[in-house]
Amino acid sequence: MLVALLAIAVGATILSGLVTIYYDVPRQMGEQFRNYGANMIFTPSGSDKLSTDAINKAKGIIDGKELVGTAPYRYENITVYERPLMAAATDFDGAEKTSPYWRIDGEWPAKSGEALVGKETAATLDLRAGDTVTLVYDLEGQTSGTKPSKKTERNQNSLEFRVTGVLDTGGNEEKYIFISIADMESLTGKSDIFDMTELSVSASQEQLSDYAEKISSGVDGLSARLVKRVTQSENTVLSKLQALVLLVTIIVLLLTMICVATTMMAVVTERRKEVGLRKALGASNRSIIFEFMGEGLLLGAIGGLLGSIFGFIFAQAVSINVFNSSIQFHWVLIPVTLLVSVLVTGISCVLPVRSATDVDPALVLKGE
Amino acid sequence: MSLLEIKNVSKIYGPLKALDGVNLTVENGEWLAIMGPSGSGKSTMMNIIGCMDKPSLGEVILDGADIAKESGKKLTEIRRDKIGLIFQQFHLINYLTAVENVMVSQYYHSMPDEKEAMEALERVGLAERAKHLPSQLSGGEQQRVCIARALINHPEIVLADEPTGNLDEANENIVIDIFKQLHRQGTTLIVVTHDPEVAEVAQRTVVLEHGRLVKEIINENFEE
Amino acid sequence: MFFRMIKGALFRQKSKMIMIAVTIALGASLATAMLNIMLDVGDKVNQELKAYGANITVVPKENSVLNELYSLDEKEETAAAHLKEDDLGKIKTIFWGFNILDFTPFVNTYAELPNGEAVKLTGTWFNHHLALNTGEELDAGIHSLRSWWDVKNGQWIDEQSGSGGENPAMVGVALAEKLGVSTGDKLEVKTSKGSKALVITGVYDAGGDEDEQIFTTLKTAQELSDTKGLIDSIEVSALTTPDNELARKAATKGPASLSPADYETWYCTAYVSSICYQIQEAIPDSVASPVRQVAESEGTILDKTQLLMILITILSLFGSALGISNLVTASVMERSNEIGLLKAIGARDNRISGIVLTEIIITAVAGGVAGYFMGYGFAQIIGHTVFNSAIEMKPMVIPVVAVLIIIVTLLGSIPAIRMLLRLRPAEVLHGR
Repeated sequence: MLVALLAIAVGATILSGLVTIYYDVPRQMGEQFRNYGANMIFTPSGSDKLSTDAINKAKGIIDGKELVGTAPYRYENITVYERPLMAAATDFDGAEKTSPYWRIDGEWPAKSGEALVGKETAATLDLRAGDTVTLVYDLEGQTSGTKPSKKTERNQNSLEFRVTGVLDTGGNEEKYIFISIADMESLTGKSDIFDMTELSVSASQEQLSDYAEKISSGVDGLSARLVKRVTQSENTVLSKLQALVLLVTIIVLLLTMICVATTMMAVVTERRKEVGLRKALGASNRSIIFEFMGEGLLLGAIGGLLGSIFGFIFAQAVSINVFNSSIQFHWVLIPVTLLVSVLVTGISCVLPVRSATDVDPALVLKGE
Repeated sequence: MSLLEIKNVSKIYGPLKALDGVNLTVENGEWLAIMGPSGSGKSTMMNIIGCMDKPSLGEVILDGADIAKESGKKLTEIRRDKIGLIFQQFHLINYLTAVENVMVSQYYHSMPDEKEAMEALERVGLAERAKHLPSQLSGGEQQRVCIARALINHPEIVLADEPTGNLDEANENIVIDIFKQLHRQGTTLIVVTHDPEVAEVAQRTVVLEHGRLVKEIINENFEE
Repeated sequence: MFFRMIKGALFRQKSKMIMIAVTIALGASLATAMLNIMLDVGDKVNQELKAYGANITVVPKENSVLNELYSLDEKEETAAAHLKEDDLGKIKTIFWGFNILDFTPFVNTYAELPNGEAVKLTGTWFNHHLALNTGEELDAGIHSLRSWWDVKNGQWIDEQSGSGGENPAMVGVALAEKLGVSTGDKLEVKTSKGSKALVITGVYDAGGDEDEQIFTTLKTAQELSDTKGLIDSIEVSALTTPDNELARKAATKGPASLSPADYETWYCTAYVSSICYQIQEAIPDSVASPVRQVAESEGTILDKTQLLMILITILSLFGSALGISNLVTASVMERSNEIGLLKAIGARDNRISGIVLTEIIITAVAGGVAGYFMGYGFAQIIGHTVFNSAIEMKPMVIPVVAVLIIIVTLLGSIPAIRMLLRLRPAEVLHGR
């Protein structure tokens, strides 16, 4: 009987474990896909720039749980050693979340007066983490193309920054110098203006388009767009992964259930003699089947319960190992697991018992 | 020297004394019946004689050696070489044919020899059923296969446990006839039974009760 | 006799043995399917992740340092350095050439529209057919490298059929709206080097900056910018191995910092950095760098998927192992009578174990072989349904499954046999 119980418990563990994983994989994997960075951007519509108010209002439309990160960006032309460059101001905490793929040789800037320099610019200016760099902003707003000779006539503002790290992205970001928003405001003297905002939202493509529409129509001076490259591809790949886990789950479950059934059948077949004996003692076929069923169902229930617990523990272990996050417990899985294990044991019990009850008790008792 | 000497043997299971100071001697070529009601210690007696169990106290000297002192491996060897077992339940291997069941015994003893096995079956009158599986044989036929298997290695003692317990009268008579024939050939026979008819035909009958030998009957009209 | 007994056991109690074999086959098929999928899932998902486009960009050496630094006003022409179009084929000749799935060259220029506005015009491959010296054939271009483009009306430029005439072009949806043009229209563009009438074959929605651009064939763009035989950049899509410590060290400190042994390992592994390095070796005066957004995320997702599959595989292996050993134990325990009898008639323990084990192992081998092929089937079903391609059957799975099955059946049967042998035959035979 222990053999049967073990088999059922293992089957139920696999059932509840895999189904839990199957339910949770899209959510967990979706979070992994946030590695590709922002999948929605806010750009100004109508007016030239975005205001903090508009950004916050738009952010409010998105479910807080789904919002992985936001990073507003403001670009200004500046010069370093008379070279025209682009400075970008952003919220570094947000950028770390919306652009997890940024590779930094050094540290993220933590306080005012610190800057992150793109790899290309760092090479041009020969900057390394720990060096200092002075950014010069032309208050009259004409940097680009100006000849250095005009320098003395211009009304300039300059700030010194310590380089905390060099940014490697393989993209345009490598050309920029990143500083904090507050520093940018003191450098330029202008505040509360942004060019665009990057958002990383953990939601399906439909949900994202829905948000984008609501935001664009609901917030003045701001339009939300999806980063198609990210959303479209995520949709493709994620649906494949889901299909993979689904199919694997189905096949594993199918085979496991057959395994459990054969083991149950072997265990019950072994007890043919007992069936013969009960018949000889005058039990009716019906009552024998009922008795065996009762036993099988009890076993199924106990095994199913054990399986639900171990399955959850397994799914939890997988989730923590793979995704570093814990899994949601689906209460509905307990009755489902119980039901399936009871059904499988019940069916695999009835077949051999039935065939045993069909035989003459004398034969069963006499034969080996 | 006697073939088998049981000296003051006791077998104790916890508080229960299955055998209690039994003394018994069996001579070579003798036909002995051990009788007694259920729970009298018959099976324990049979297990000890058949080297399938060891006494708690006392000596069992078979062919000059005390089997009470032997190791399990040695007991297996003694059993293989000196004892042929016949069971009430026949205990044939159900996926082997009659002749193969006989050959199994040869196989574990020495070398399987199909011809010899066929001859053994012929002696119990089953030559034409040799290729049948146990499930295709009647109870009497199965018991005869069992006897052929017990005899195949020419044991010194044939030990039968309720050999007719599962048989009807006709088959019982066939088995008894075979025993008579064996006795004439000089085989030592020990039959454990609770059936007086089976005991009557033996040379000598001992009766066990509560683990003690209570009676010994010598069959006066035993026909050689 | 030994074989007669085994033959009897196997063939005269077919249904019992078939049931054991079926269970073992199920377990083995599960193990086979899961192991194969686990080993191949990396490659398969890697292929799927190619939907995110190129993971390596190649630019001319001088440009990579100075790259448009002095021309933040992008409308100025910056024809500083170029790569040679003739060198493109060399990308497929590198050590990891087989892992290069797709690549496309770009020529960027700015053109003036009839309304006087300047627009970025890019020449590239769409589905350029390449026949390499190696005999390999390949359709390369942005058709697959921009899988997320949604062609709103019209269609992709088909270079092979030559539809769209001399100068076909695809226009971004934002630009098309602004200009009020659509498929079939002609668009007059002018540069300092000449002018052309482009025929619009399709309007695409890229969901980004590209929506304001015009894409045309490489040849048209080269003529317009007078850079015949030259290209500005290359995007490469390559299958890569997720970065590890070694790859990170090579990427940050440079391959020169590695020890010779490490260097060889690094060079011969398809890390994105080693592929970049090899591209640089193949194409003169080029700098290849990974697109971190794609390369890095790919690595994470691949790692996670593989880990997930490994854990699911472990669970199913564990499950099938328990299932098999359970049934084997049950089937051995059933034979207490037979084993008791063999002992009673004087069989030695090791000979009994020998017989029983041989039977079980023969059954297991039969089940295992059947199971392997069943597992093959399951793996292919999954491969075709999910990835539309076959799962590669790794030969190493065969010994793994074989050893697993043997160990599991032995583990399932030996304790049971030992237990039965410890029983005294008397107990078994007289018991009841």
